[in-house]
Amino acid sequence: MVSGCLARVVYSDVKHNFLIHYIVALGILLASPIFFSLSQLDCILAAQPLEVYVPLIGIVLMTPVFLPEQNESIYDVVRSKKFNHDIVCIIRLLCSVVIAAVMIGAYVLYMKHCNSQVTVRHFIGSSATAFLLGAIGFAFAGIGRNVIIGYMASVMYYILNFSFGTKLGYFYLFSMMHGSFAEKKWLLTGAFVLSTAVFPLRRVFRDR
Amino acid sequence: MMLFRKECGKIFCSLTYILYCLLVILMIISQYFIDSGQRLYPPSKGDYDYGEKIVEDHDLIMSTAADALTVEFLSNRYVCYPFGFYKAVHLDNEEQAKIEKYICEITGLDSTGIAEKKKSAEVCYITDGTHDYGEYAIRDMPISESMTYERFTDIMEDVDNILGGGSDYAVDGLVYQFSRVPMTYEDAVDDYNSIFNDDRVTNAYARLFGDYAGIVLAILPVFVAAALTAADRRRRMSELVYSRRSSSLRIVFTRFIALVTTMFIPVFVFMVIALIQILIRYNGSDIDMTAMFTLPTFWLLPNIMAATATGMLVTEILSAGAAILVQFVWWFMGLMAGGTAGLSGRIGKFTFICRHNALGNRNEFLMNWDNFVFNRVFYMVISIAAVLFTVGIYELKRGGSFNGIRLFGKGSIFRRKT
Repeated sequence: MVSGCLARVVYSDVKHNFLIHYIVALGILLASPIFFSLSQLDCILAAQPLEVYVPLIGIVLMTPVFLPEQNESIYDVVRSKKFNHDIVCIIRLLCSVVIAAVMIGAYVLYMKHCNSQVTVRHFIGSSATAFLLGAIGFAFAGIGRNVIIGYMASVMYYILNFSFGTKLGYFYLFSMMHGSFAEKKWLLTGAFVLSTAVFPLRRVFRDR
Repeated sequence: MMLFRKECGKIFCSLTYILYCLLVILMIISQYFIDSGQRLYPPSKGDYDYGEKIVEDHDLIMSTAADALTVEFLSNRYVCYPFGFYKAVHLDNEEQAKIEKYICEITGLDSTGIAEKKKSAEVCYITDGTHDYGEYAIRDMPISESMTYERFTDIMEDVDNILGGGSDYAVDGLVYQFSRVPMTYEDAVDDYNSIFNDDRVTNAYARLFGDYAGIVLAILPVFVAAALTAADRRRRMSELVYSRRSSSLRIVFTRFIALVTTMFIPVFVFMVIALIQILIRYNGSDIDMTAMFTLPTFWLLPNIMAATATGMLVTEILSAGAAILVQFVWWFMGLMAGGTAGLSGRIGKFTFICRHNALGNRNEFLMNWDNFVFNRVFYMVISIAAVLFTVGIYELKRGGSFNGIRLFGKGSIFRRKT
């Protein structure tokens, strides 16, 4: 019964709200050969598209999780339903995470097919970067109740990484390009903390 | 004026504008003020490196470009940066034959002559990615006596096209790529003196200010513009605004001017702070009191206008998300192209993010002054045209004949009609 209801939620969300985001994310990946060479890259060169470009799909997929109910009147209607809205958002977020991981996985496999030296580390590193960028967008969009604020926050964090570089320490997004993988666990931790902290913080900011 | 004040008030109270101000403050302080933190002192004699300068010597350009092209031709590995990112291009036999034909034309050698050069050159084996290749150290390719610089640039344009663009042989980059020479102590002193005599200090700092602030001002305004434009629809106020007597031209243009004005305020404040800092630091020098306002305004205003106009237009037609995506793609390509161009005064006719990341090198910047003026005016005109187009869209929406292209909800392009 519950699983049937969840399946309906996922199907309905994908069909009505998220298909466009999946298409945009796919478009971003398919456009990458315009910018980058994907064949015969060593592990450092291969990290360039996987850290600078591919993680942008995290912003596209994870930031708009709260978008369908951004309008206050729609949100009020949704809140009156029996099914908890937070659970719906968590399901959406998980869907986005899975889709992002699958897309990045397929991209890494394609690079492998093109004789680039990519490993599971590249997959994890690229995914971690995508998840943190996405989680920043998701958190700001949720707390600010406006998806534009989410996009703004994640894009700005991305820009800061160009300007500040390694000064960002554990939260530097492009560490694999400099041969370091240690930062990735911090990115994953940061993404997890941000994603889970959103729901109570949303309530706090709403009540104020 | 009343409408303008109302729009400004709405913008000042919006969260996106507060975030915009915080981010502009963060970027300008962390980039410009840290980089320009100390007083400039004259170069000292006996330094190891004084940097490089561009001499614009056609013979030097042809000679070094012919060497570079031959080296890459012999390895069949051409390094390109089409959007600022590394791309190794390998050509097929037909394209290689074309390149060989061009090398023969430039150098006056034939295929045998090139083969002999290859034979006599030292080879060093380099690992590029997963691929090992031999690079031939060729430094003395001759230049045919009949070769003119005009014909040479035609050939280089063709070579760049064969390589798919973004190569070192792009015509507008030849001077920057192939006619750099190390600066002597005297050159470094001249460069230092020109900051005080020609730039009168503030012009040099104004260029650096424009360079750093231009990066963020080419993207951030789109968020504020998209949020304000989408706010009417989000708060279900669109119909109420549509029914007002004010013309669409007045509403949209007032909103545009309010956005540009409010977003320019933090930039202007930093111009004042930067000028005060220069006045304190260079007390007693001959300082141009207006340059810190005129040059950055001319440099940065088109960026704010273009990003704002894109935000308004695409939000009216599609959605705020689409506007952000469009502006991000434009910004990303502009930033990467600017990085490849070398961050120092190489400004094309359509360069969106102009870069000149140095206090000195005045001559390099002035070499492209015409391009700079053209492109700044071009982006201002384009922005106003985009706002006029937005007025048209807004008018159609008011008349009920167009409701934007909806991606979600009722009437969306992804919802199946029953």
